[in-house]
Amino acid sequence: MGKKKQEMSQVYNNSNNEFIFGENGGKGKHLSSFLKNLSLTGTSSTSSVHSANTDNIHEINSNIYGTLGYSSSKVSSNQSNSGPPPKRSVSYKDLDDDWDADIDVSTDSVVRRSPDNRNLSRVTKVESNTSSRSSFNLQPSPMLDSLYPDLTLPATNSSVNLNSQKPTNEESLDVEDYRTTMEINRLNQISSRNNKFRNILISDSIVNLQDLRKLAWNGIPSELRALTWQILLGYLPTNRARQASTLKRKRQEYLEGLNASTIDFEDTAPSNSSSLYHQIKIDVRRTNQSIKLYGYPETQQSLRKLLYLWAVRHPASGYVQGINDLCTPFFQIFLLNYIWQLQQRVLSILEADTYWCLSRLLENITDNYIHEQPGIIRQVGDLRNLISKIDLELLNHLDHEGVEFLQFSFRWMNCLLMRELSISLIVRMWDTYLSETPLGFNNFHVYVCAAFLIKFSNDLKEKDFQEILLFLQNPPTGHWKEKDIELMLSEAFIWQSLYKNASAHLR
Amino acid sequence: MSFPNPATSVKLVLLGEAAVGKSSLVLRFVSNDFQENKEPTIGAAFLTQKCTIGERTIKYEIWDTAGQERFASLAPMYYRNAQAAIVVYDITKPASFIKARHWVKELHEQASKDITIALVGNKYDLVEDDTEEESLRKVSVEEGKGLAEEEGLLFFETSAKTSYNVNDVFIGIGSKIPEAASAGPNQIHQTNNDGRIDLTSDPNNRPRAAGDCAC
Repeated sequence: MGKKKQEMSQVYNNSNNEFIFGENGGKGKHLSSFLKNLSLTGTSSTSSVHSANTDNIHEINSNIYGTLGYSSSKVSSNQSNSGPPPKRSVSYKDLDDDWDADIDVSTDSVVRRSPDNRNLSRVTKVESNTSSRSSFNLQPSPMLDSLYPDLTLPATNSSVNLNSQKPTNEESLDVEDYRTTMEINRLNQISSRNNKFRNILISDSIVNLQDLRKLAWNGIPSELRALTWQILLGYLPTNRARQASTLKRKRQEYLEGLNASTIDFEDTAPSNSSSLYHQIKIDVRRTNQSIKLYGYPETQQSLRKLLYLWAVRHPASGYVQGINDLCTPFFQIFLLNYIWQLQQRVLSILEADTYWCLSRLLENITDNYIHEQPGIIRQVGDLRNLISKIDLELLNHLDHEGVEFLQFSFRWMNCLLMRELSISLIVRMWDTYLSETPLGFNNFHVYVCAAFLIKFSNDLKEKDFQEILLFLQNPPTGHWKEKDIELMLSEAFIWQSLYKNASAHLR
Repeated sequence: MSFPNPATSVKLVLLGEAAVGKSSLVLRFVSNDFQENKEPTIGAAFLTQKCTIGERTIKYEIWDTAGQERFASLAPMYYRNAQAAIVVYDITKPASFIKARHWVKELHEQASKDITIALVGNKYDLVEDDTEEESLRKVSVEEGKGLAEEEGLLFFETSAKTSYNVNDVFIGIGSKIPEAASAGPNQIHQTNNDGRIDLTSDPNNRPRAAGDCAC
């Protein structure tokens, strides 16, 4: 468990948009004070090569979502004509151009960027008047209309400079050349991949879901992940003309659902009689302990709200421990998109999006969480049968040692391997799961679990009952990288295509 | 016995409502550590720890179960064949004491007849400094003791946080475990036992007389 914790302390560290809650900020500090100190390092777009990219991403999001404004009148006027906001040029030199256009300084927040930080990072200061924050989160806010804030540049900009700098030192020319070539290749790959996503997401009036799934199966660029996940989950319609209005409606519905409840979600509220809410409250407090993000009172309140609403609306299963884990990838991936302008009122959007995507996800695996959890029991049985086909020797060894599959793989099914792998790897895995039809959280997951178990086959065959259980409870995945996950997913894919229609193994 | 005592294995299960401190008790016993807001257990966790009581060394094989009601259907898998059980409640939460009663009842009905059960009221640290008028304590020592005497259980109040009384629970259970009972039939498949497996022993027909009372 310890190893995983360390791994988990890095929330998100694979792009230039780092926000490492494990390192910065402080547990228990007010979120807004944390944000004041937080430097958001969207990299600059001085390089002409990549400013095109930037504009493109920005364009996608503003076209689809409208722009996140700070004044209600402004936002609603933008939204009233469903086309792109007026006076929007497609050839920005810089994100700033558009950013400034939508700031309304008359409201209680001012967002500024320092223009001189060209090479390394651009600092966004969020100065919010915290005292004026009232009960925004339960009010239908103007932000219901506007969906995504401006996005950061692709994660590659700092290395672009390398590309454009001609090496001056003769001696290091070879090395520099080599590095430059490698960088260019890498960037080209990323860029072509990003363009493929963009084409699917904006070229037609209907997003081609088949193509998107195919592409997303192999991983989604981080700046387009939130949007892509929402489409894959069917939360955001593929019909682009309906996206904005659907989101508005869904977010409104979420807020109304909350308003109808009698629960006081404040942390300080006296413990109330609902045992459901009590269970959620005690679990939220101990969700992702090692990640600072989940220590903030605001985060915890959001999770309490959305988990509670989900539970009361899905009485067949209600809240089951582990579902608190399942909402966190959504929460933090959507947060990554919103963090530019994160304020109290943004939380309600964040919550609503997390709520709806969690609902979509759980819809497919309801059987896992209803009474006696038949879905999980079936999956554990499927896993055992699958192992008997793929690695009979391992199965015999486990049987010989008296290890039951339920003893170690129950948690794999209940938490979708979230306790076994770091969050950044889980996020990559969900790219693939969400691209599967039907959503891969059910059938495909069993094959992934088989691949996961078989990874350790040789180790396990050397171990006895106790060693096996101790090993599988804390599998050595701390050093795993995305490529390890991708290999595992590929193995699972192969087994799925081999055994999916051969029902004999599911006897 | 004239030869040195090898470690005898004892299968132990923890039961109790969610968030009463089952995993924390085990963590204190196994690693002498404490984590505030430990993540909820899913399914069950497995841990081992050795414990020396006088001449004997006992190796506990601990199944730390998940507390939420939805997982309750898994519990029989873990208490079946267990020689010992710790039923935990939170002395500041009356509902958890009611749940503890249910677990004791279920164990008496479903688990092996000569299982040694300890009733443990955890979170003693929360009431340590309390004045009499203003106490967080919601389950009195007398209530706990009463239930234990009624049902023939060992009884302790503990704090996993301060480690108060935690080891005593495991020592207490160890001293209650009859030696012959420590190698149950479930150990057959395991290679780590003391090598003196009595294949004829049956959990329902142990040489040791059943009905020995803890009080």
